[in-house]
Amino acid sequence: MMLARVADSLYWVGRYVERAEHVSRLADVMLNATLDRSNAANQTARIALGALGDTVTASEQNLYDAARVLALDLEDSNSVRVTVAMARENARQVRDQITTEMWERLNMLYLRVTGESAGRTFDRGSSAFLHEVIADLHLFKGAADSTMSHGEGWRFLVLGMYIERAQLVARLLKAAFGEGGLGGNDHVTLMNVLRMGCALEPYLRTYTAEIEPRHILDFLLFGEDFPRSIRFSTARIEEHMAEIASHVAFAGRARPERLAGRLKARLEFTDLEELESTGAGALLTSVMGDCTRIHEAIYQTFVAYPLEMRLPA
Amino acid sequence: MGNTRPVAEEQTAHEARIPPGAEGFYRPGVAFDEMYAPDGEVRNHYGLMHERLITLSAEDLAARQSTLERSFLLQGITFTVYGAEATTERIIPTDLIPRIIPSNEWDRVEAGLVQRLRALNMFLADIYGEQKVLMDGVLPRELVLGAPSYRREMQHLYVPHKAYANVCGSDLIRQEDAQFAVLEDNLRVPSGVSYMLANRDAARRTFPGSFRAASVRPVERYPDLLLATLKSMAEEWRPDPQVVVLTPGVYNSAYYEHAYLARLMGVPLVEGRDLVIHENMVYMRMTTGLQRVDVIYRRVDDDYIDPLTFRRNSSLGVGGLFNAYRAGNVMICNAPGTGVADDKAVYAYVPDIIRYYLGEDAILPNIETYLCREPAQLDHVLANLDKLVVKAVGASGGYGMLVGPHASRKEREDFAAALKADPANYIAQPTIQLSTAPCLIDGKVETRHVDLRPFILSGEKIVVTPGALTRVALRKGSLVVNSSQGGGSKDTWILAADTETRPEQESVTA
Repeated sequence: MMLARVADSLYWVGRYVERAEHVSRLADVMLNATLDRSNAANQTARIALGALGDTVTASEQNLYDAARVLALDLEDSNSVRVTVAMARENARQVRDQITTEMWERLNMLYLRVTGESAGRTFDRGSSAFLHEVIADLHLFKGAADSTMSHGEGWRFLVLGMYIERAQLVARLLKAAFGEGGLGGNDHVTLMNVLRMGCALEPYLRTYTAEIEPRHILDFLLFGEDFPRSIRFSTARIEEHMAEIASHVAFAGRARPERLAGRLKARLEFTDLEELESTGAGALLTSVMGDCTRIHEAIYQTFVAYPLEMRLPA
Repeated sequence: MGNTRPVAEEQTAHEARIPPGAEGFYRPGVAFDEMYAPDGEVRNHYGLMHERLITLSAEDLAARQSTLERSFLLQGITFTVYGAEATTERIIPTDLIPRIIPSNEWDRVEAGLVQRLRALNMFLADIYGEQKVLMDGVLPRELVLGAPSYRREMQHLYVPHKAYANVCGSDLIRQEDAQFAVLEDNLRVPSGVSYMLANRDAARRTFPGSFRAASVRPVERYPDLLLATLKSMAEEWRPDPQVVVLTPGVYNSAYYEHAYLARLMGVPLVEGRDLVIHENMVYMRMTTGLQRVDVIYRRVDDDYIDPLTFRRNSSLGVGGLFNAYRAGNVMICNAPGTGVADDKAVYAYVPDIIRYYLGEDAILPNIETYLCREPAQLDHVLANLDKLVVKAVGASGGYGMLVGPHASRKEREDFAAALKADPANYIAQPTIQLSTAPCLIDGKVETRHVDLRPFILSGEKIVVTPGALTRVALRKGSLVVNSSQGGGSKDTWILAADTETRPEQESVTA
């Protein structure tokens, strides 16, 4: 049992940390793609920016500037700088609930990406800058896993992470395969899609270097063991949701738990053939919608619940 | 002693002792210096530390200082400066050279603080009860009842153990005659204890060898003593009372401290919006529903805790809290209305208050204080503005204050006008030379003025933590130590008895 406001903040720490990591990786892959003289750069940028809801067509703009905006812009609510600052702000509000190991890691990262020299460090070596951000976020997650009690607060943190991850990966796959169907992307671009999902190496071990869109979809949507697949994420969402909801005393099954269970089952029992007949777009859209509904249900059930329901008799 | 000595600090510790006085860092001035006697001799209890400092080069000192600052920044012991382009975080200035107090001096301070707080708690119980002290004319009735910090709402309320001021941080200064005196009491929501703990944590790492050799008394028990004090305030029939820390929120300058204490006590840190009052009971909103709260360690001023009872436009507290308190269903610590006992005008009467309730003389003296409300004393103050420090009664944190000798003629004239307009709002004190202590300024050991803020807990019993926050006026010659006015802080070592004359060889690797 914990303060509702604290649960909410921990949940948002999870979401922002996950988003910061994803955006860093997208920016990094995009910048790396520009090094090759091929039209993969533009395609990769289109997918990366599309996955972040950016409608600007990439071919018209300087990709380096686009990546710099993703990393450091103060106005862009999805930039690494803003999301790290938001994660740290939420962590500060629950400073008494997280461990010193977690706090110091996140605070150090915050000081680095918001400090005066952040812009210069990025210009001197953008790839190193983004790699360090990702590495620090991994250290933060590691600290959370190994120093914080795996109780309710930790579950809210992890829940935020997986809900964010499911949505981000769904959006990435939609940007890559949603509209133009499964064809249309060349080999290098497909590799970049896997890189953006942090999935290239695990994919290669499963499917070898034969990179095919349907296998990418299969891997990132239905991969049972890969931690960034949507199926894996929804299974964790369901697991943590069930545990958290079991403490709520009032009658009936809590709504977010039911929604999470349904989403998990959907991912478990859909297969690729079915998906190919209907198109990936529809499923991905409904995954994103379900995540939004779970998000809202969590807020209504655990944070902003009506008081009349819970007053002592 | 094993051979597992930490850090390189010990390597040079057995170098020859440099004759004291011959190569001191600075010459002590008029004020009492904590490290040097007037003749330039190093005081006995500073011997080891002085010896250590002499062996460190300017680079060593600078490196240690930057390690210290880095660790404060990392821990988030900062305040935020909002700029146009980016917001930056600044650390509260902290100095790495500890201030050392021998045990015999501390014993007297401790006894004096316990005595003072006992008397002040009795005074509070009296003025919110039968008011005998006013009937006996110990201090003027209107001075107490007319003070803005007197809370009529508190009259005739039961406070367990008569412990009104559960957490007190008194400001002491060392006068030229080496005696500690009380400059002011803080009975409302005193802050700074987290710096005492953080400074200690840092000093242990900055001077590990000297720290161990010196036998410093530990301060680490403060959080659990605080928790025990708070729990002792709860009703006896509530077997495992739920304690919470109430903070105004993350934008408060002391937020770090609120979170720090909540974390070390293992209790929830709540904001007003987390609390719900239902049928005069206080609950907090948990994920699973509501949970009863028994004791609130509030770090919100009286005015803001309950918009229904106190200031109406405040959203920091929770409406109905005071009614729940009145009904005896929750304890608020410190009790509302304690501020009247640290009022700067009431301060002048504290020695009388101690004599009245305890029949004893004050162990720790007051600073001589002129009450401008008395016409004769006002005349004296106006005639001597260039020698006195004048303070507004209601203000704190170094605001609304005139330091006569350092003020310009214009400032003094403006202040004189304000004094004449509202004399009852001011008191004056002679300009006291705060004692000085060695501090690291721009890589050099120099001397700066310091005060001392120990923390006293009172619940079922009164406990003084053997440590304190030493505040430093970082500007050369300045006497203002408040952090809002460019003050810093440093660790304070209270030595355990029988170790002041520890033989030198013990500090050397065995």
